Amino acid sequence: MITTADKQATTSLPPSNHEFAEVVHRLEAGGSMLPDNPENLKQIIGIYKAYAVPMDFYWRDLLYIAEHVFLNPLPAFKYFISEKYLNRPNAYAGDNADLRIWRGEADAHPELREFMAQGERKRKLPRLFHHLWHDRVNMEFAEACMLAMFWHEDINPTFNAYLETDEYRANSDRAIRAYFKGNPVMLGLYKLFPDMFLEQVRRLSYYANLGLFWEVMAPVFFEMSDLYDEGKMTTVPEAMDFLVNGIFAVAGRPIYHHVYIDGECYEIIPKSQGFTWLYEAALPYVEAVFYRTAPFRGTKSYNAQAGQVPADQKDFHYGILYADVFPVGSAGIPPTLLMQDMLHFLPDYLIELYQQHGRGEDDMLVQLGITFQRSMYNVTSAVIQALRTALLYPLDDSNLDHLRANRAFFEQQMDRFKRPEARLRDIQSQNYR
Amino acid sequence: MPSIVDIAVQTEGFSTLVAAVQAAGLVEVLATGGPFTVFAPTDDAFAKLPPGTVQTLVDNPPQLARILKFHVVAGCWKKDDLMTQHELNSLESSPIPIRVSPIFEVKNATVLAADIEADNGIIHVIDNVILMG
Repeated sequence: MITTADKQATTSLPPSNHEFAEVVHRLEAGGSMLPDNPENLKQIIGIYKAYAVPMDFYWRDLLYIAEHVFLNPLPAFKYFISEKYLNRPNAYAGDNADLRIWRGEADAHPELREFMAQGERKRKLPRLFHHLWHDRVNMEFAEACMLAMFWHEDINPTFNAYLETDEYRANSDRAIRAYFKGNPVMLGLYKLFPDMFLEQVRRLSYYANLGLFWEVMAPVFFEMSDLYDEGKMTTVPEAMDFLVNGIFAVAGRPIYHHVYIDGECYEIIPKSQGFTWLYEAALPYVEAVFYRTAPFRGTKSYNAQAGQVPADQKDFHYGILYADVFPVGSAGIPPTLLMQDMLHFLPDYLIELYQQHGRGEDDMLVQLGITFQRSMYNVTSAVIQALRTALLYPLDDSNLDHLRANRAFFEQQMDRFKRPEARLRDIQSQNYR
Repeated sequence: MPSIVDIAVQTEGFSTLVAAVQAAGLVEVLATGGPFTVFAPTDDAFAKLPPGTVQTLVDNPPQLARILKFHVVAGCWKKDDLMTQHELNSLESSPIPIRVSPIFEVKNATVLAADIEADNGIIHVIDNVILMG
């Protein structure tokens, strides 16, 4: 098991001269970008739990859309997830798990079911009323994440190359014809505009991709929350190490896209393609969602001609690691949708913490947004340490050249946080709330 | 002369690799195809991976095969042939960085035993499972 915190370099390098030398040294000692103190631990674990409950809806509904709603031209009910998908056993929880990460049950989380029944208004109404009142899980956030992965296509080359193959086209064609069987209007449109339909299927393949990614993360976060409540997770590096071990344990999980039409399974992306959770889902997700995304409409006017938006997509920096949580906190944009979702499932200890700071309950969305930012710096630290473990050398390696290679890798990662929008500086202090 | 698979089966310390090659359905190609250069991780190398990593891969043969193919290169590449070679293209299609001097290293793994000759290729024993990226 990886326990980076226990490992200290026995052969030492001279101190780093990097702007974030303190963070580089902490990473070299097996730590996280987030300083290790009890309050940071409380904040990140509390928010992981609050994130995992809506995430339990996101992954189920993403797969429901990818596998069942499919090319419905009027998908008004795509967020009305079926009971079958609420009961669908998570592959990493419950007695029959492929690999049991969470000791809890495999079907939808009880807090999620309660929220779906009663909403914020605490009234049991038909689902349609909750939906029209927007008193529901903000699935639009999950779709925004999916679109970020879909749009930043350079970060997932192997997966995207398959989406352009004749094999993928043939698989999609079979499913499209089966789905619109007996519907001459849609089949006629397909004949006229085949590429438009194919592009929609590609998008749905990303629904499946993200759904399979988050199916893993929800039980990981639930288990971390339970371990913290039991007093078995006591430091920030322990929380990071749990994530590192989780990343490795499920790295080889297949990423695929199956569609079910009239009870028959159509394999758009078969498991036999060899796509994996780590390479085709987790790493692209982190790059697309934590770092890049895209400017959110309605929060600020950007003048592309004046260079306010980078010319290259790879230089986009609108993810949570760079977000100014306060002005971004406008209604309707993806980060606020998530904050609103997490607000419903905060543990009591986080609510008490927020009441002691800022404007108490009045600015809780902002406070929890900054907590979320801290927690995602810790997840990103886990990804950085996992990549270092997979591609480079142990932290206690006795070869100085290997330690230099680790140092260069950590410094290269920290270079991405030199730009003024990055929040790495801010999260070093507890005054940032 | 024995094949790459025969050598792995007959040599102590490669039981995980042999089991993985069997689970991935690569026995026949490594026994009769080639020539290949195989970077063969020891049992200790597999044991360094966090718990669950190998099991998830063994449960999913196509994904396991992809990781194993990253350890195989077409052609016979002895240590001396690699003096001027900085990287080789794996059968998985990702490149594998190679350094021969001062020590023989393949990506982040060190070669423990080089140039083991088989009927259909060359085996270099390595101390880490190497991963793409």
